Amino acid sequence: MSAIQSAFPGAVLESKVESDRRLWITVDPKRLVEITQFLRDKKDFDHYSGAAGIDKINDNLFEVVEILTSHGAHQVVVMMKVKVPRDSPSVRSLTGLYWNANWYEREIWEMYGINFEGHPELYPLLLPDELVGYWPWRKDFKGYPDTTTGERAIEQVGPDGYTEFKIMPHPEMIKAGVVPERPKYPTFREREEAEIKSDSEMIMHMGPQHAIVPGPFLLDLLIEGERVKKAFLDVGYIHKGIEKIMENRTYLQGIVYTDRMCYLASITNNEAYCGAVEKLLGITPPERAQYIRVILAELSRIQSHLLGTGEFLTLLGAATYSPFQYMIIDREDIVYLMESITGARITHTFVRFGGVRNDLPDGFADKARPILKRMRERTEEYMDLLHSDPIYTRRMRGIGVLSPGDARRLGVSGPPLRASDTPYDMRREDPILVYPDLDFKVVTRKAGDAEARVEVRLEEILESIHIIEQCLDQIPDGPIQEKLPKKIKPEPGEAYYRVEDPRGEMGFYVVSDGSEKPYRVKVRGPVYAYMQALPPLLEGAYVADVVAIAGSMDACTSEVDR
Amino acid sequence: MVLKSLKYTLKTALTTTEVTRLYPEVMMELPANERGIHELDATTCIGCGSCARVCPNSCIEMVPYKYGNPLKNRKMQFPQIDYGRCTFCGLCVDECPVSCLKMGKRTEIAGWDRKDIVYGPDRIAVKKFSDKEVAELEAEAKRQAEEKKKAAAAAAKEKAAKAKGKENKAKTKPSEGGEA
Repeated sequence: MSAIQSAFPGAVLESKVESDRRLWITVDPKRLVEITQFLRDKKDFDHYSGAAGIDKINDNLFEVVEILTSHGAHQVVVMMKVKVPRDSPSVRSLTGLYWNANWYEREIWEMYGINFEGHPELYPLLLPDELVGYWPWRKDFKGYPDTTTGERAIEQVGPDGYTEFKIMPHPEMIKAGVVPERPKYPTFREREEAEIKSDSEMIMHMGPQHAIVPGPFLLDLLIEGERVKKAFLDVGYIHKGIEKIMENRTYLQGIVYTDRMCYLASITNNEAYCGAVEKLLGITPPERAQYIRVILAELSRIQSHLLGTGEFLTLLGAATYSPFQYMIIDREDIVYLMESITGARITHTFVRFGGVRNDLPDGFADKARPILKRMRERTEEYMDLLHSDPIYTRRMRGIGVLSPGDARRLGVSGPPLRASDTPYDMRREDPILVYPDLDFKVVTRKAGDAEARVEVRLEEILESIHIIEQCLDQIPDGPIQEKLPKKIKPEPGEAYYRVEDPRGEMGFYVVSDGSEKPYRVKVRGPVYAYMQALPPLLEGAYVADVVAIAGSMDACTSEVDR
Repeated sequence: MVLKSLKYTLKTALTTTEVTRLYPEVMMELPANERGIHELDATTCIGCGSCARVCPNSCIEMVPYKYGNPLKNRKMQFPQIDYGRCTFCGLCVDECPVSCLKMGKRTEIAGWDRKDIVYGPDRIAVKKFSDKEVAELEAEAKRQAEEKKKAAAAAAKEKAAKAKGKENKAKTKPSEGGEA
């Protein structure tokens, strides 16, 4: 902190050291790029974690929060804030310093209308081109048609007698100038067609509905012969606006929505959100609750890796020994264990502020131990099986290689980053709950190819089993819920909390204004970062390898379009 | 290589116990804290409506129902749940101050119509009073209400009398003070 102040006198307007791992600073918007460059080059902040926009309508300000961390050099997270006036919001873009700032800034621009000077492609990312009205996440956005009047759809009877309900504006309204018109941009289709340079190139569509994609997203490949020249990604087909919905729900009701972002990682999403709110409330859960949370997070990791790997192997055509069925059988046991604790199979809504919903059932440890033992044997079998399969090895080894430098530059986290020889794990980097007391190792591989990613996942299952077994041995008796105030109303403030998702770094940034509802919730999801990194990874690959590369990232569109 | 994978296939086939579920005939074993269809204990519900307030999808509505306890639930309002919207998050169960709402092991909700899956208190109640008990309770409630009315009237009378006395005192006091 003092280093920044001495290097840039007068540029730091406010600062707060929350703990030895969180630093909040507000800087002068004019000197943002300089300071960021200083942090990146001199202070090892080489990981751009994300950015969030906040609409402070009462102060007539927009805030942009840049989250900067490091890949293992230290554990400090800098939350760097820039305040700009609401009338002419403009911030210097950081895309020159961090490649992966691109999508985060695009999202802030399309939702809040904050201009980013020097951004290479300010086009809508998540919103459709047909959307009517400006900047939907501003606090004074009323929706179109004005949702405050309650009139949502316009009834129109056609010549054939059918009644249609249209949400699009009336032609008369457009004439009268009531409808706010969006500025015109080249659409996704026009942009990608502009890249076709010769007759030998063509665009191949994969998606929005395709066997390889885990949810709807459009992957368009500009191919020349058998090689991918350029890849284009269009996401936002299932954009749910969960961040905005959570602004209109109480803190407690927000937990339900975090489940729906990605059903394979619902416990870790719960955990990240509850952790952020716990920070705001200033409470820590009792030790037994922390152990229960760790057990569930690791079970959730096991089942997510099993489903992800199994599904991916099916796409590769590994039909001789049907690994998907094997893994689903094993996953069923794990899901049953989770169900016996939480009462639900995938959308758990289990973690609470300062505790958990209910205690472990009687005899849970006795039930869990044989299942975990069997799980360990099976995982070792899978590893052996995959190694010995020549088709699998040929399709995976050396495919989609992500060098350590590239992996850090593209901003991926989780198994793909660890497969590229970077031991970056939130359980070590930003330890939460009882992880510091547990013994586990961060699984890494040197190769960085598709095979290494699957290997990391399978080995992580073994590590998770090891963690759960320790938890079952060590778990103390005691309460599972901290005393909470009757109405959850945190003091005005903000908190950033991150956990290791099955897929990588999941962070929740929650801003409170002292009311019953959060003022702003920003989700920094791991898959958003993978998706952004997909086009450069696919460049130069063979068409036949696209499935292996895209599938080995284990993406989840639902979380990208949260 | 192929033989190795076949070996694992055989091993799995021989060692894994039954995987397929004979679902409609045999229901799978559900854990004790399964979150299925709600179970309402109508005898203890106080009709506070906190379940309806906490529901993120507003699928709970408070409706009148006869077989509850009028002594505790004065307006005789009980939760009715629309399972077309319920996400089984269990917040209503956590929020209930008298723990009369629980979630049970029943999970089959299919119906022919959207209205069929709106479960009123009669369909989710697992514990309720019989007609006779309701009649007794109502009589009791009436009696208590009357008693209360009487008591309230008496209290009001007393209060009025007291207030009058106070007023008199208050009237007299300042004059006394003024004289002194």
